[in-house]
Amino acid sequence: MSEAGTGPGRDWRPARGVLGVGVLAWTLVVGLGLGSLAALLVNAPEVAFDTLWRDPYLSGVLRFSLLQAGLSTLLSVVPAIPVAVALARRPRFPGRRLLLRAMELSLVIPTLIALFGLVAVHGRQGWLSTLWRELSGEPLGYLYGLSGIVLAHVFYNLPLAARLLLQGLERQPEAQWRLVAQFGLTRRAIWRCLEWPVIRRLLPRLMALVFTLCFSSFAIVMTLGGGPGATTLEVALYQALTYEGDLARAALLALTQLAVCLALWALALRQGGGMPLLATGDAARPAGRWRRRDARGLSRLVDGVWLTMLAALLLPPLSAVVIAGARGLPALPGQSALWPATLLSLAMALAAALGALMLALALVAAARRWRDRRRALPAGLLEGGGQLILILPAMVLGTGLFLLLRPGLGGDWQSYALVALVNAFMALPFVMQVLQGGVALPVGNARRLADQLGVRGWAYWRWLVWPRLKQPMGLALAYAMTLSLGDFSVIALFGSPSRPTLPMLLYQQLGGYRWQGAAATALVLLLVVVVVFALLDRLSRRRPRYPQSRYSSRAAEAADAGMS
Amino acid sequence: MSRRTLVGGLTLAALCSVSPAQAEETLTVYTYDAFVSEWGPGPSVKKAFESQCDCRLRFVALDGGVGILQRLKLEGEDSAADVVLGLDMNLMAEARDTGLLAPHGVDLSPLALPVDWDDDTFVPFDWAPFAFVYDSQALPEPPHSFQELIDAPDDLKVIIEDPRTSTPGLGLLLWIKHAYGDRADAIWRGLQPHILTVTRDWSEAYFSLFLNGEASMVMSYATSPAYHMAVDHTDRYQAAAFDEGHYLQVEVAARTRHSEHPQLAREFLAFMLSRDFQRELPLTNVMYPAIDLGDGLPEAYSKLIDPKVYTFSPPVVREHRKAWVDDWLRVSTQ
Repeated sequence: MSEAGTGPGRDWRPARGVLGVGVLAWTLVVGLGLGSLAALLVNAPEVAFDTLWRDPYLSGVLRFSLLQAGLSTLLSVVPAIPVAVALARRPRFPGRRLLLRAMELSLVIPTLIALFGLVAVHGRQGWLSTLWRELSGEPLGYLYGLSGIVLAHVFYNLPLAARLLLQGLERQPEAQWRLVAQFGLTRRAIWRCLEWPVIRRLLPRLMALVFTLCFSSFAIVMTLGGGPGATTLEVALYQALTYEGDLARAALLALTQLAVCLALWALALRQGGGMPLLATGDAARPAGRWRRRDARGLSRLVDGVWLTMLAALLLPPLSAVVIAGARGLPALPGQSALWPATLLSLAMALAAALGALMLALALVAAARRWRDRRRALPAGLLEGGGQLILILPAMVLGTGLFLLLRPGLGGDWQSYALVALVNAFMALPFVMQVLQGGVALPVGNARRLADQLGVRGWAYWRWLVWPRLKQPMGLALAYAMTLSLGDFSVIALFGSPSRPTLPMLLYQQLGGYRWQGAAATALVLLLVVVVVFALLDRLSRRRPRYPQSRYSSRAAEAADAGMS
Repeated sequence: MSRRTLVGGLTLAALCSVSPAQAEETLTVYTYDAFVSEWGPGPSVKKAFESQCDCRLRFVALDGGVGILQRLKLEGEDSAADVVLGLDMNLMAEARDTGLLAPHGVDLSPLALPVDWDDDTFVPFDWAPFAFVYDSQALPEPPHSFQELIDAPDDLKVIIEDPRTSTPGLGLLLWIKHAYGDRADAIWRGLQPHILTVTRDWSEAYFSLFLNGEASMVMSYATSPAYHMAVDHTDRYQAAAFDEGHYLQVEVAARTRHSEHPQLAREFLAFMLSRDFQRELPLTNVMYPAIDLGDGLPEAYSKLIDPKVYTFSPPVVREHRKAWVDDWLRVSTQ
């Protein structure tokens, strides 16, 4: 915030500092990410590249990983298109909010809980199978094998994909929907001029994201795979890191994963536009306020079918978890470890989320600054750096960091700090997506207006940036916190003193035959996730305390929107 | 708002300010997470040992025996661990080879294991045979050998764990290898139609699937029913006794060579074979104690199967594990 210009030719407020901080954050993230890989390689006694590539086991693993991830991606993303279109066309129906919340939840449910719900509904003795037996007398078995894996991945990713597509559709300027209403455009015309262009721009990055998530899936693939034929690279990685203690092999496997996913992302980033990948808060005005000719008649039925299918996919497993958890409620009072664990989890999740948020802000701000100066390459590098962590297996990141920081790791609290750091890194890609999509920093007229009126420094930030920033920031925090809350892989790796986090407690209870307690813990975990989302959503939407701020944010919007 | 912030801050501060006491010696024990949970043996063991040693006992919970060994290897001589507790027999040879462990110097005469034990590095502290646990409501007549299981109708399904990632999974692999030697592949081939799925670890197999009624049998321990009988008060879940005999799981502890408190570590290892320690295990760890508890053994344990047990020696396991896992992979993916 130096004297950097109010003059017309020069850019506004945050000066070089922004770039410096951004580069620093980038160096930290990429340095520690690649550094952890390097640490594995350095600490390995020998590195044998050639034997790895010729290993038929690994080529089988790679083939299967690609197959299941490809199938899961297709089946998650393609049906998400009509679902999103239907949701965009029906801005008001009973239960819409609930459905949207459930869709946001699906990304962050811990695997073990999701598995429990899926088995309770789709398993051999599940609700669906029981129903089917009643009707037809035949048993039903599809949960084990490729179909089960794909089902679980679709359960995780279809709602995510649909949510992001819906977000893209709803962010279309209001004027366009007004025109649609005024011209009474037909279904085909709307699809051709409005929906498809948006979706086409989003699809490549969306598919890359879903593919990456499915590609690195671990517990789901093993449990539902039906046998060792269903092995992903992550399983091989786990083997290498634990039973075989072969750091070099682990590093090489991680490099393989990096290569596959990076190639995909590079492709996707070239194809896709700069649209947000993560759902950000809804626009203030739902697009469907305008009457749409295509929303009448038969389309009601079609939309109804798609939305029912989404609800049928999403709600029963979640209900199963809630019902099982309710049965564990009587065990709640006896669980002295539950509340400290909840507090500890929340504290660590908050630390991780704030860390992720700060890193993401630094990266996004600097990238934007470079974009403003038409320097696409450094901007792309900065943004890409944040995505790196999504592709780097958490186990490798954790073990590598452990090796790097080992001499400094004395007490328990350093372990917790390290876990929070890794969780922050893991949440970073999601946080960046939210911020990139949601933060519409004042541009054009708003900025010119501010310049003319001499609004800068704190006032500029308070009245022009903050109103635009707080909602995405709230949502970013919510995603980051809940992702960390549900995470077990990292904390399991570093170990802990006797105080467990919530997911650790869940695993301990399961390992110790405490089913009732485990069910209750799962329920509490789920509730905490929902509450965090709701609370941060509520807080970030709250109207500013000063009446004039309402005006100023509206004015800023108006300035953004139009008159030149 | 501000008050809530204050309370939150204070809670955080309280959480953060707890640090080990400086005055007395602190013995650091690496173990697995179920051991230190509030219902596990950890808390009462800590209390009992601290009351007699004038020291503090600090547990660090890691991800199973494999996690303990991995951490020890990563840390090497700088490890904070004085004692590692919770390795199993299959990890012993590898752990010994690290050169990081020291002889225990403990009198092993109280041991009452079903096998002879004269190892000078590892102190066994509990044991159980691996076994298939079945749901007697779904399966009143369980098979009593691998052959009977193979011959059963195809709708008899079992859930097993993966030997690449789980201890019971590796246990099953070694069990079949020990019982059938070169014919192990044929047994595995016969079992394939009965295997519902192969899970990553025991929790998913037992909790997410078996107790959800997904299959009538699951690979677990012969002692699992004791918990159901003693705590859940149900004898619905029982272990099937197999004619081939059962493979044995023994959990062990050892002290590290570079410990700063060797004397204390030795005392702790000796304490592990005391009644104070051992009587906690049957219902917390759900394993047989390593010494004869006499009347101290919960009544449910008298209703368990009492099969013939055996193990490979640790070096044999280390030498062949990879090849045997590869064999299993080949047979299972045909």
